[in-house]
Amino acid sequence: MIVSVIKRDGRTVPYDGVKIIRAIEKALAATGEGGFDEAARLTASVQGALDAAGNESPNIEAIQDEVERQLMNRGFNDTAKAYILYRANRTRAREATSTLMKTIDEITNVDARTSNMKRDNANIDGNTAMGSMLQIGAAGAKAYNELYLLRPEHAKAYREGDIHIHDFDFYSLTTTCCQIDIIKLFHGGFSTGHGYLREPQSIQSYAALAAIAIQANQNDQHGGQSIPNFDYGMAEGIVKSYHKNFSRRLAELLEDRYELDDQLQALKALVAEVEEETGEKLRIENSETFNVKLQAKIMEQYHLTTEEAKRHLTKCRDRAYKSTERDTYQAMEGFVHNLNTMHSRAGAQTPFSSINYGTDTSAEGRMAIENILKALDAGLGHGETCIFPIHIFKVKEGVNYNPEDPNYDLFRLSCKVSAKRLFPNYTFLDAPYNLQYYVKGRPETEVATMGCRTRVMGNAYDPSRQIAYSRGNLSFTSINLPRLAIESNHDEKVFYEKLQGMLELTAQQLLDRFEIQASKHVYNFPFLMGQGVWLDSDNLTNADSVREVLKHGTLSIGFIGLAETLTALYGQHHGQSEEMQKKGLEIISFMRKFCDNKSQAMKMNFTLLATPAEGLSGRFIRQDQKRYGKIPGVTDREYYTNSFHIPVWFPIAAYEKIRLEGPYHALCNAGHISYVELDGDTAKNVEAFETVVRWMHDCGIGYGSINHPVDRDPICGYVGVIGDVCPRCGRHEGEMIDPAHIEELHKMYPEMPVFQGIE
Amino acid sequence: MTKTNMEKKMGQGVGFERIRRITGYLVGTMDKWNDAKRAEESDRVKHGLGKNA
Repeated sequence: MIVSVIKRDGRTVPYDGVKIIRAIEKALAATGEGGFDEAARLTASVQGALDAAGNESPNIEAIQDEVERQLMNRGFNDTAKAYILYRANRTRAREATSTLMKTIDEITNVDARTSNMKRDNANIDGNTAMGSMLQIGAAGAKAYNELYLLRPEHAKAYREGDIHIHDFDFYSLTTTCCQIDIIKLFHGGFSTGHGYLREPQSIQSYAALAAIAIQANQNDQHGGQSIPNFDYGMAEGIVKSYHKNFSRRLAELLEDRYELDDQLQALKALVAEVEEETGEKLRIENSETFNVKLQAKIMEQYHLTTEEAKRHLTKCRDRAYKSTERDTYQAMEGFVHNLNTMHSRAGAQTPFSSINYGTDTSAEGRMAIENILKALDAGLGHGETCIFPIHIFKVKEGVNYNPEDPNYDLFRLSCKVSAKRLFPNYTFLDAPYNLQYYVKGRPETEVATMGCRTRVMGNAYDPSRQIAYSRGNLSFTSINLPRLAIESNHDEKVFYEKLQGMLELTAQQLLDRFEIQASKHVYNFPFLMGQGVWLDSDNLTNADSVREVLKHGTLSIGFIGLAETLTALYGQHHGQSEEMQKKGLEIISFMRKFCDNKSQAMKMNFTLLATPAEGLSGRFIRQDQKRYGKIPGVTDREYYTNSFHIPVWFPIAAYEKIRLEGPYHALCNAGHISYVELDGDTAKNVEAFETVVRWMHDCGIGYGSINHPVDRDPICGYVGVIGDVCPRCGRHEGEMIDPAHIEELHKMYPEMPVFQGIE
Repeated sequence: MTKTNMEKKMGQGVGFERIRRITGYLVGTMDKWNDAKRAEESDRVKHGLGKNA
């Protein structure tokens, strides 16, 4: 006789046959194979079988096994199948819950320094309250999404490491990133949801509001935020500041000189008249017509000679220029400080931010570029290198690339700053795949980069809108290329078949995710859609669906480990022979062609991404090492090589690396980046630095940057390469230093920070 | 802070900051990097500006 039952948590409870009847009844009802009577008869058989086995206290699993057996034995085949599936699902859910609890336990109790999981994203401090809360939320969302939102084949591919679904915690919530057109956003002012901000009226407010826009939009999306037109946008603020400074200076000068009452309003009216008559705004550089008119009006109103008016105006223009330049520097400094200190997403992250600039040749645009570079060069309060925003300098022939170009001086300055601060990175508008979109005088057609490397230009959904502004990536999923190669066992044909299958699966998964995203409404994105940041969202009202406007965004298929893929298939990677370079380009071209075909078929933007892969760099290879062991050159390290890069450990000249990686930039239209690693001394040589940037331009690189060690000793403030010993103060890491020596150094380096000590 | 305290503490236990680029972003200290990215960073070799590596 069964007396009791052992539950899953180990507790023993009295046996109750009615519970079994109910469970079977439910299963029968679901398939239509029977009702209560059949359920009761089956339960009796289950009891009989268990009694026969002589177990007075069976566990739940044993009882369920017996139910399955009796259902099958008595011909309830469909019910048996449904019951088995139901059990399997329940088991998966239980396991997910238990894994989730273990994960939360680790987030709660383990120091991030010893928990790799907590360092998955280097921008989140897993040791803080808000950082941990963010990680717990992400863990819960991931468990739910896998269980309820993914098709079983996608869940399996994701779980087992065939693919990686990026930002999976946000699967059901939002999209990745956006290029914020600040000019459009600022015109007429905007609302952050907590208050309305009037249109800014000075460069200081322009810069402050630009930081707020980035912060506000970051809370609506899971990726980074970017400003594609930083120079053009700030230039409008500089025009306003110059206008104010000029009127104020001129008023003061006239008041002092001719003992007049307040002249500011009168002068503002006078300038407005000239603007009205000439159709031209007062700015740093005005046309001859404008200047002549302005001078004439001043002469008339204040009874001045030509000579006097000219002298006053020249002086005021000069002073206004200087004040505006100071204002701009302070504004840029404040902007950089803001972006490095403000927090978003429940306070756990500094916003991922990027700004693009370099091509505005107006006097105000140039002032913006020069001063943001100077602020970057100066660093933060103690001379620290700024982590945010990512600065991207847009390189363009005829604008800033050649010595005769109007902004060439600023390009040179950018090289000097980047050689010290690692930023700016460079994006190349002359690369053929970027140049095809470029229209002179229309900055929205200039390629801009956001976040790690995302690029959005082509538009299969709306070919009349092939622009960078107000668009972004919707979601991306990466393919484990090396695994496909390993499993193809050196057979190229098999590899391409597998790759085709994996591309189809990934595209379907991206479309499934799009369906979830497309079911959202404007009110789900109060800033991104509510304030018209996203393309065409300004035509929508609060309750409208975002389905159609989202189609301006991209669905991207990414990859990792081309080098390991080639090694697994052919024995060598693309840094080792021209033949392998050809093979590598064939694989990536195949993937790009798939994306292009899909885009045309669906009239949506499927693009190919050279995946950034921070968390992913170790995830696939750990799983593959378990499956295949350590294959030399393929799975024998802790990470797969990033996208199409030549492996970081492979000795190769900078020029050669750039030449080999260039052609892949043309293929990876969702985003790409190439780096070279220079030693500290080479990087300090600005000529050499510029040569490398020019070589990138010539090799068809779309986006590139130069890495070099930037170390800093917080004690003496030295920035540069530090080996074991600081070259300035001579101390080893962690070593104390004689305060008298610090005093001496202070005399030699007045800009040196005063170290506050560690109390 | 008293003078003796100051002498003892000036720099003691204070490390150097080492800024590196990780997938496009800069990161202030490598404490927050995951294991795979740390391994990758330590494997990075410099690229010479001559014709050969």
